[in-house]
Amino acid sequence: MNMLAKNAPGSLLGNGKTLQAFRSEVTQRTKETGFYNGLSSLPFRESDPIGYEKLFSKIRGGLVHARETAKKIAASPIVEQEGELCFTLYNAVGDCILTSTGIIIHVGTMGAAIKYMIENDWESNPGIAPGDMFTNNDCSIGNVHPCDIATIVPVFAHGKLIGWVGGVTHVIDTGAVTPGSMSTGQVQRFGDGYQVTCRKTGVNDQPLRDWLHESQRSVRTPKYWILDERTRIAGCHMIRDMVEEIIAAEGLESYERFAFEVIEEGRRGLQSRIKAMTLPGTYRKVAFVDVPFKHEDVQTSSAFAKVDTIMHSPVEITIRPDASWRLDFEGASRWGWHTFNAHHVAFTSGIWVMMTQTLVPTQRINDGACFGTEFHLPKGTWCNPDDRRTGHAYAWHFLVSGWSALWRGLGQAYFSRGYLEEVNSGNANTSNWLQGGGINQDGEVHAVNSFEASSCGTGAMAIRDGLNHAAAIWNPEGDMGDIEIWEMAEPLLYLGRNVKCNSGGYGKYRGGCGFETLRMVWNAEDWTMFFMGNGYMNSDWGLMGGYPAATGYRFEAHDTGLAERIEQGLSLPLGGDLDPTEPAYEQHISAAARVKRDKQCMTTEDCYENHDLYLNYLRGGPGFGDPLEREISAIADDLNQGFVLPAYAEKVYGAVIAQDAKGYWAVDATATETRRLQIRAERLQRSQPTREWMREERERIVTKHASAPVQQMYASSFALSEKFLARFKAFWELPADWTLNEDELGVPVYGAKHRMDLSLLPDVHTVVQVEE
Amino acid sequence: MDMQRSKVQVMGIDAGGTMTDTFFVREDGNFVVGKAQSNPADESLAIYNSSLDALSAWQLGVDDVYPELVTCVYSGTAMLNRVVQRKGLDVGLIVNKGFEQTHSMGRAIQSYLGYALEERLHLNTHRYDEPLVPYSRTRGVTERTDVQGRVVIPLREEEMRQATRELVEAGAKAIVIVLLQSHKNPASEKRARDVCREELKRLGLDLPVFASVDYYPSRKESHRTNTTILEAYAAEPSRQTLQKVSDRFRKHGARFDLRVMATHGGTISWKAKELARTIVSGPIGGVIGSRLLGEALGYENIACSDIGGTSFDMALITKGNFAIASDPDMARLVLSLPLVAMDSVGAGAGSFVRLDPYSGSLKLGPDSAGYRVGTCWPESGLDTVSVSDCHVVLGYLNPENFLGGAIKLDVERARQHIKAQIADPLGLSVEEAAAGVIELLDLSLHEYLRSNISAKGYNPTDFVCFSYGGAGPVHTYGYTEGLGFKDVVVPAWAAGFSAFGCACADFEYRYDKSVDIALAQDGDDTQRTEACAVIQAAWDELAAKVIEEFVNNGFKAEDVTLLPGYRMQYMGQLNDLEITSPIAKASSAADWQKITDAFEDTYARVYASSARSPELGFSVTGAIMRGLVVTQKPVLPEDPEAGPQPQASAHLGKRPFYRHKRWVDADVWQMEALQPGNHIVGPAVIESDSTTFVVPDGFETYLDKHRLFHLKECARG
Repeated sequence: MNMLAKNAPGSLLGNGKTLQAFRSEVTQRTKETGFYNGLSSLPFRESDPIGYEKLFSKIRGGLVHARETAKKIAASPIVEQEGELCFTLYNAVGDCILTSTGIIIHVGTMGAAIKYMIENDWESNPGIAPGDMFTNNDCSIGNVHPCDIATIVPVFAHGKLIGWVGGVTHVIDTGAVTPGSMSTGQVQRFGDGYQVTCRKTGVNDQPLRDWLHESQRSVRTPKYWILDERTRIAGCHMIRDMVEEIIAAEGLESYERFAFEVIEEGRRGLQSRIKAMTLPGTYRKVAFVDVPFKHEDVQTSSAFAKVDTIMHSPVEITIRPDASWRLDFEGASRWGWHTFNAHHVAFTSGIWVMMTQTLVPTQRINDGACFGTEFHLPKGTWCNPDDRRTGHAYAWHFLVSGWSALWRGLGQAYFSRGYLEEVNSGNANTSNWLQGGGINQDGEVHAVNSFEASSCGTGAMAIRDGLNHAAAIWNPEGDMGDIEIWEMAEPLLYLGRNVKCNSGGYGKYRGGCGFETLRMVWNAEDWTMFFMGNGYMNSDWGLMGGYPAATGYRFEAHDTGLAERIEQGLSLPLGGDLDPTEPAYEQHISAAARVKRDKQCMTTEDCYENHDLYLNYLRGGPGFGDPLEREISAIADDLNQGFVLPAYAEKVYGAVIAQDAKGYWAVDATATETRRLQIRAERLQRSQPTREWMREERERIVTKHASAPVQQMYASSFALSEKFLARFKAFWELPADWTLNEDELGVPVYGAKHRMDLSLLPDVHTVVQVEE
Repeated sequence: MDMQRSKVQVMGIDAGGTMTDTFFVREDGNFVVGKAQSNPADESLAIYNSSLDALSAWQLGVDDVYPELVTCVYSGTAMLNRVVQRKGLDVGLIVNKGFEQTHSMGRAIQSYLGYALEERLHLNTHRYDEPLVPYSRTRGVTERTDVQGRVVIPLREEEMRQATRELVEAGAKAIVIVLLQSHKNPASEKRARDVCREELKRLGLDLPVFASVDYYPSRKESHRTNTTILEAYAAEPSRQTLQKVSDRFRKHGARFDLRVMATHGGTISWKAKELARTIVSGPIGGVIGSRLLGEALGYENIACSDIGGTSFDMALITKGNFAIASDPDMARLVLSLPLVAMDSVGAGAGSFVRLDPYSGSLKLGPDSAGYRVGTCWPESGLDTVSVSDCHVVLGYLNPENFLGGAIKLDVERARQHIKAQIADPLGLSVEEAAAGVIELLDLSLHEYLRSNISAKGYNPTDFVCFSYGGAGPVHTYGYTEGLGFKDVVVPAWAAGFSAFGCACADFEYRYDKSVDIALAQDGDDTQRTEACAVIQAAWDELAAKVIEEFVNNGFKAEDVTLLPGYRMQYMGQLNDLEITSPIAKASSAADWQKITDAFEDTYARVYASSARSPELGFSVTGAIMRGLVVTQKPVLPEDPEAGPQPQASAHLGKRPFYRHKRWVDADVWQMEALQPGNHIVGPAVIESDSTTFVVPDGFETYLDKHRLFHLKECARG
């Protein structure tokens, strides 16, 4: 017979139940009681707190250790230098027990993959056996973007499945339409790159040969790909060994009790933090970011995608007196024909990478925090798409923007409670993303993806300035890395690296400044590059009178004549683009050069010759408090360090300044005080009663006097949420029959009405973990 | 004291922030330790005073002893303090034009270096330290060399002259020059250095100039820049201090050449060019001492463990060698110094113990009581429980004999605090809670030790474990239990082991250099031979530097033993492994095979054989040359055996001792009164003024002729 014997249903768990039935029991008990798996008490922990803590310490230590060891195998600077990898241990139903450090957004994304396998009966086909490996990077079942590749290994003990280990790395290229890990230009999933859906890619601890061949030729950078895979496998196996040893030492029963109790403990941990740090109440914030696709430098394959749109991300944080909380994103705009959409798991899981930097900075983080949070993400929004065609390659464009509102909401809750040192005015838009590809200095097909964006400016606190060029919302341990390492990976000679002047939002405490690096294409052939980030809009806002960080802009130059200028010893563009309103680079390149200097920070692959220039500008963070309250000495420091332009010290801070013969700036305190009084008077003069201003604004709304992107954004939110429309109308006191539809705007409406969700495919059971 | 006096041969100095310790060893292996208050203004005086204190035990003076010393090794924290407090020289920095802010920006990693895990996550706690060189004393000159060493933009020399003049005017007392990719092609940077010197000469100035390629020609500019700046900023002032120390020795008749403990695990002359690598030395001493002990005892695989009040440091000696980290961080700076690889965890004998206010779980550290011991010392002013409090309550530490009875501990006070802060909230008795804390700490050290051994590709059963540091022997049983070490060794002088180790260090110079060799797996013999030629050329260059240093110290080239090494990785990887070369000279295709084989063996051990990737080809990223000359080292004491039964006078009585949920009566022994051959079965506590060695139920120990305790697990009594 050409058939393998099939395992009896329920043999996997050894308790007569299928994985699916077992998971549904756990989910049901959680739902009914409000405690994870119905654990209203924690018998193991309560009866043996020391033994429980010892188990915790062993597992946690093992996870961190596996990550530190395994990452050294990788070749990609993204993994090795930036630490974009993470290992997580799950119980049998795919809920996270504990995780290593790293991009802990993947606590939930790998859990979602495991749950997908459970709900779609992987148990009987393709089967789950000791020594198996599964690979997933499918964005429609929870992955953030296709470049996060997860290897998932089942853990067996005493002949039954007791859990899973997952390892994820951010790879440098996924074989999308254009090079780079987060390419743009494609507008659907089908151009987003190689996607693998929980595929069995290894047996007996060995990757399968068909997988190795297929996957390596599906991407541009096979060498990085294969070493990343070995990194993930090695880490997963180290952790699996650790679990085996723990079970041998402590017994399976203790381990399994721990594997459920620790999640309930995580849920309670979040609640006690909320109770300690915040003031109950409702906090409403909003964030926006631009999607400028109409521009000629954005090439898409589909005409209907050539439209300028704006993401809308309102959030309502409700903190109840019992310290339970709800995050409600009602009113968010629709997903779109671009690569910035996010699956709801990417959103709800990703949020913890931010929360662990502020509300729960603890190693005791697991799925408990997620069970302790009510999420409302309406179906059809950019953060919970209802169409199986959506692109996700740079979901972070929307996520980093949307979450800046959460920082502000939390910041206000901390401020209200008196924790000024915990306040943070928001996060930078972590861009620009320098990406591209072609033939590199070693003559190989190559893709580049700089992670300098991991070191943007941070938001100001309520007691001091934000940090310059220090972190990313997705990685508090960001690091820009060494130039000499990046030059090994990129055929792009650095011509400067310095703090980006004026990029931190002004305020009593200013946001951290970003930085900028100027690159000259060098030793490449058939080379392309593109830009990705915010340009026309701020995606962060600042707090309590603090300014947002500066928006982005792009600078690129072709036909620079630099070869000749170097030869002739003429002046060269070296260092920072100090004041973009008075362009200086242009004075040091050929007068015939083609320069693009504008706010179009979203472009697609374009050709670059050697000696062409590209400016990588990494954004700053937003500020806190009225800039007129900024200390005099802090303004002088900023001037002398090159963190603020003199004109803005005068204009925004009201500083009266002078420079001595050696170029040293001083601020005249008395004159500044007078000037500030004057500015305050001018402010009062300019002001008008809020009601009056609202009346004028209302008029503009009634007559639909707004740009097409703004109208399209609201129309898409209204179409998804009657509640939001009603609230909007009530706030502006609009007539009952007032409405706004996309049809009336004269912009492409492809996809506005007709959509098909993944759940409608035959034999597919999607896993929904939020209120939709 | 002996009437027939044995000569004093070896002196070790540990000049700390508050106390300066000296350590003298006689020919017969006996030693004395002296203490004196440190004197930052004149370290030589503190060393002198400390020597008087030490030698008084032998009724000798410095004029008797200094002239007969064969060797003296200094280690101290002055340079590190100078860096941490930013009290170094006003240095001027010259970099490529366009990169003037790069150094003062620092790497983002420096905003959370040295943080415990939870603070690393907690963004609002991150901060940068002041840069070593301010932006105002930094200048740029037009130049760029690419990653392959090709000069893309030639150096504009006139800018170099102007930058020099400006830095002089800005008050620079030394000038550091670092150009990008100079490790790959040093031509531009060397030319910049020469132009700078010419200009200084023209100005009639005698400022030291430091070019990074002359010191640390390794890839990663932030590491290279920080390290070269340290030479100017902190090492030069330290050299003056050491000169003073040396002068005072000479005044009292010393004939030895003062040596300094360096990060690579050898000692170097105080006149050595690269003095920045003496920035840390204390913890390294223990590793060196362990290696010497290992040689004496015939052990080549040793797990070194050192517990102090705040941290647990461990290092591995494999086949008689310790590993070297090539780009470590110290004092929150990324550096490019070769550093004896040590792993540290921020939990020690004095760590504070708290219940996490959010999760209610037990939390140790990261802060610690330090010299204030714990709430058991009423005068400490502390009211937060520390690990030491738990030890006192459970009978592990003697409240009457802490630090030789210098301070008296209040057991009841500790009990009350443990009860209120830990035991009651957890629903445990005071004993259960205190024992739980100890078990948890010991478990985390145990797991740390185990995982670090397995990370290097080994199993604890291949190793012996040495345990030292003042607090080490209290925890030894706890963190070694069940790991299966071949032997567990506790030196009777555990508290002074690091100083002992420094005195054991070889006179050794080590130089590193980045190289770039990339060869496919199936590279032909010509390519393999060429690769060997590149390696050999680098070794020759480094060997010349090593020999030059020794010649400057009065040695001949033929006295120097050269040990070549290399750093290798699979092509494209970013992490390399350091390999001690299996061959002394590299020239043929067969040599290349030996070079790659040695690498692959190590790789498979460290990362599992499935991670081997020879199909990617091989890269040699660095060449290493170590050179050493034989030095006089302390001889281990050899006392006659006195049989298993300790003398009655060594027995100090019995003390209640709690472990595994019960109180037992432990024998208390006086460590100094125990004799070689004595055998002690737990439960027992062996006390001395400076350390306490705990041998619980289920363990036994005997003291060997070198005054080393060997701890073994045995059947429970």
